[in-house]
Amino acid sequence: MNLLHRIPFALRVPLFTAAMMILVGLLASQQVLSALRQVQDTRIRELAQLQVEALSVALGPLVSRHDVWEVYDTLVRATGKNAGRKEGHRLVFAAVANPEGAVLAATDPRRAPVDSQLRALTDGAQDLHALSVNGESRAIKVLAPLVYQGREVGQILTEMDVSDLIAERQRVSRYLLVGNALATGLLAVFGYMVMRRMLQPVTRVIDRMRDSADSPEPIAAADMPVGDNEMTELANSYNTMVGAIRAKAETDRRLAERERLVSLGRLSSSLAHEINNPLGGLINAADTLQKYADRPEVVRESTALLRRGLNHLRDVARATLNLDRLDHEGAVLSPEDFRDLKLLIEPEISHKQQRLGWDIGKMDCRLPAAHVRQIALNLLLNATEAAGPEGRVALKAYAEEGQLYLEITDSGPGLSRAACARLMGEGERIVGGGVGLRLVHDLVTGLKGRINLERKEGETIIRVELPCCRE
Amino acid sequence: MLTRRQLIAGAGALALLPAMPARAMAPFHLGLTPVFLDNDAEVLTRLRDALSEALQVEVALEQRRTYEEVTALLLEGGIDAAWLCGYPYLQHKDALALLAVPVWNGKPLYQSYLIVAADSTARGLADLRGNIHAFSDPDSNSGYLVTVSDLVRMGERPEAFFRRTIFTYGHRNVVRAVADGLVQSGSVDGYVWEALTKAEPELTARTRVLSRSEWLGFPPFCCRRDHLGTSRMQAMRRAILGLESSRKGRDALALLQLDGMTEAEPSLYDGIAARMRDIGAARQ
Repeated sequence: MNLLHRIPFALRVPLFTAAMMILVGLLASQQVLSALRQVQDTRIRELAQLQVEALSVALGPLVSRHDVWEVYDTLVRATGKNAGRKEGHRLVFAAVANPEGAVLAATDPRRAPVDSQLRALTDGAQDLHALSVNGESRAIKVLAPLVYQGREVGQILTEMDVSDLIAERQRVSRYLLVGNALATGLLAVFGYMVMRRMLQPVTRVIDRMRDSADSPEPIAAADMPVGDNEMTELANSYNTMVGAIRAKAETDRRLAERERLVSLGRLSSSLAHEINNPLGGLINAADTLQKYADRPEVVRESTALLRRGLNHLRDVARATLNLDRLDHEGAVLSPEDFRDLKLLIEPEISHKQQRLGWDIGKMDCRLPAAHVRQIALNLLLNATEAAGPEGRVALKAYAEEGQLYLEITDSGPGLSRAACARLMGEGERIVGGGVGLRLVHDLVTGLKGRINLERKEGETIIRVELPCCRE
Repeated sequence: MLTRRQLIAGAGALALLPAMPARAMAPFHLGLTPVFLDNDAEVLTRLRDALSEALQVEVALEQRRTYEEVTALLLEGGIDAAWLCGYPYLQHKDALALLAVPVWNGKPLYQSYLIVAADSTARGLADLRGNIHAFSDPDSNSGYLVTVSDLVRMGERPEAFFRRTIFTYGHRNVVRAVADGLVQSGSVDGYVWEALTKAEPELTARTRVLSRSEWLGFPPFCCRRDHLGTSRMQAMRRAILGLESSRKGRDALALLQLDGMTEAEPSLYDGIAARMRDIGAARQ
């Protein structure tokens, strides 16, 4: 049964059809052989009856006057032995006995001597009216009363050669076997092909689902099964399902986009401070330049101050712009990206008067920079949120044995169940409720990485492992 | 085209016509039994044609199953003549006369053979006690009388000596019965057995001659004694005796494996008569 279930459905049904064809062939053969047996039985019965009747007419008067020679001569003529004919003669042996069972004469007197008991030869003899060609015996024995003028004057035992009938049966059996094997073979192949064809829409759906599990393709109009039947319905349902999956994927994409922008939004206030704070110094520097334009040392100092402030503003703007470039291809992860991250997160850290641990190790690992930055930034933002005022947040990043490890630690109370579910990709996606954790999960999954969540000594540690790409 | 001889003969016949009884033109009926001659259509046709030609009268062959039937037919005048056995001839010696006797191997004599199956271990008639025995005809000399008279001479009763006896009404049938194993022994005409060794050697090869009788008179052609003097019967006698002079006659004789025909005296059958006397004595 298990083996049967292991055979694909698209193969199982045609195979079953072929098996049915073979079974039908066998049954048909059996019927033909049975019919042949009946025909042969009827034929041999008629022949035997005719033979016994004819012999009764010829032998009756001879038996009633116990004429041994004439009985013998008549029997010999009936078997054709006298003329030396043996081939094609059905009656091969005959013996006639008187009513007491003593042999009067037989075609083979040595086998059935005159005056011997006929009983000795009647083993396996059949009744004339229930004659049947059974088994493989080449001769059948028939014992019948010898009736003359309505009176039973003796018994006659005849042995008929049925080798031709047996041979015919064997020949027919052979032909049937070969013929039926061919016919059922052809029918089986035909049935197999027809069933394959009928099941084609199903196999097509199965193939499409298997081949494009991530983004299933709808069945083209040209490939749609013709006619208003179950197969058309199946194909239509499949196409509807494909449409629904695509719509859901689109929704997911938009949702991810929104989540990405959420992190940017969350940064906007601290970034505004980051831009605003140096602005006062920069304006003062500009005023000083205006007021002491003739004092070279003051101009030099103010210009240097201005450059530092403007450089900082440029860095913040670049980091922010880079963050928005999630879909942009090309950039490979470098220590520069972690410097950007630090630049972006530091205002948030200092605003909350938190301590930041920053440990960036070796970074010889090819990974798309934008994705890794999004993962780290979202986790850092969540960590600062969780750690609270004067809390502690740390990032440790390093590449080792073809893996990039990101370890984000915070001194917060740990992730809520909902946040944990989002991070680990469990449960339903909730629109608008996330703080980028679902995005982290999706990105890590996309990079074939793993997330590990641990709570240790009052700290929450989120470990992300990302396999480096091959060159 | 008619030859001169045929023309003269025809004219002679025409001249005699008013004086001849109507019977002279009627077919000549010759009786036969399959006891002696098997139903060989060719032999019968040749014999009939040869006699018809010689006699200038159509010869009709009348076959009956037994000597008794043919003899009865002959005695009552149903047939003109018959090829009988010496035994029925002697049984009705007063009423029957000899027309001619076949010559076989130069003599008008033959023997009776006692035969057994080729694989039989019997060494003489005495060894056949309790067997099933085949005779050809109760009125046959070679196929009955000889064996029965031998038993009588041995002091046996034939009906008690053998377990069962059967009559096959044909010498060839006796050979078949012995060869096929239907019976263990048989009494057969020596001439027929010898003829069969040439015609059907595979049949006689399955038999063995256990004993041969003395030489006895060959089965003769007989007619009623009162018809012997008629010109019709004399013509028939001449036709039989002259068989070897015509081509058809020689053909018939060749098929019968006979040398020819000869005249015979009743004394030719003295041997048979002696056996008949022995049986008669035993039965009294």
